[in-house]
Amino acid sequence: MSTDRYRRQTLVKELGQKGQELLATKHAIVIGGGGLGSHSANLLVRMGIGSIDIIDDDIVDITNLHRTSVFTQEDLGKSKAFVLQEKLRAINTEVRVRGINQKVTKENIESLVKNADVIVDGTDGMSLRFIINEVSIKYNIPWVYAGVYETVGMVMGILPKKTPCLQCISQNIPESTSGETPVIGSLPAIIASIQCTETIKLLLGKPLAGLLIYDVWNQCFDTMDIKRNPYCPMCGKKKKIN
Amino acid sequence: MKITVRVFGRYKDITKKDTIQLNIGEGNTLGDVIDSFVKQYPTTEKDKSRMMVSKNKMYASFDTTIIEGDEITLSPPVVSGG
Repeated sequence: MSTDRYRRQTLVKELGQKGQELLATKHAIVIGGGGLGSHSANLLVRMGIGSIDIIDDDIVDITNLHRTSVFTQEDLGKSKAFVLQEKLRAINTEVRVRGINQKVTKENIESLVKNADVIVDGTDGMSLRFIINEVSIKYNIPWVYAGVYETVGMVMGILPKKTPCLQCISQNIPESTSGETPVIGSLPAIIASIQCTETIKLLLGKPLAGLLIYDVWNQCFDTMDIKRNPYCPMCGKKKKIN
Repeated sequence: MKITVRVFGRYKDITKKDTIQLNIGEGNTLGDVIDSFVKQYPTTEKDKSRMMVSKNKMYASFDTTIIEGDEITLSPPVVSGG
């Protein structure tokens, strides 16, 4: 491992040389390579995660460019996963980067994530997030939820059966509505940065911050300290008596 | 009864406060808290069915009964875009 590359990062006492070396042994899977996923994958590669898979079956579209920083106009029409693989490999050859041009489904998710140390959420709908949540609990794989809408973003690191899962906090949430999600261009980069920090903390065994809510327009940042729902149908132990 | 509700995210901007007071009847539920909140702040109406409401640091369903002294929070719906 190059010491110069991470020198400024290892000076951070929360990480240190030991933390950096530990990161180099970890495998992250980023599901979704759009506004959030491309930024998160970029940061994780730069920060020195050991290996990373980026899974997305979509192509780079002109509507992606306002909120991403890795893609360019030359990438339009190309696989997001393969473009990210090529560009992120060029950023840090010490990290094993693999782009997987595939749709993640309930049927294939287990085979795609079974060796992961962490799953990083770059998806754009709730149904896939609930699939990630389920597999995370089943195989005890931590994951970091993140979402953006208009000017508001949310992040929550999830340590299965230790911290609240997505179902614990979203029992009233119906399936995503169809249509395009409005997002201000500056938001995904910020939310992905927060998401990556929570990802690194998870991998280093540090305590998580809870549910983070950031409104970039009103510059309002909140951290919610929440507990697991013991009656959660996904991760709870108790059965609700009506 | 009068209850105190802590608000998060853009609800702080809408209410111009960190905590608000709502008047709720005895034996009412978290759903009634949301109804009262939306009535007081009509611009939150579009979130109504998806609002995240917690009681004593735990997210709970809208039919959960509340009593005086419960710590209630309201935040915008879980964000789903990527």
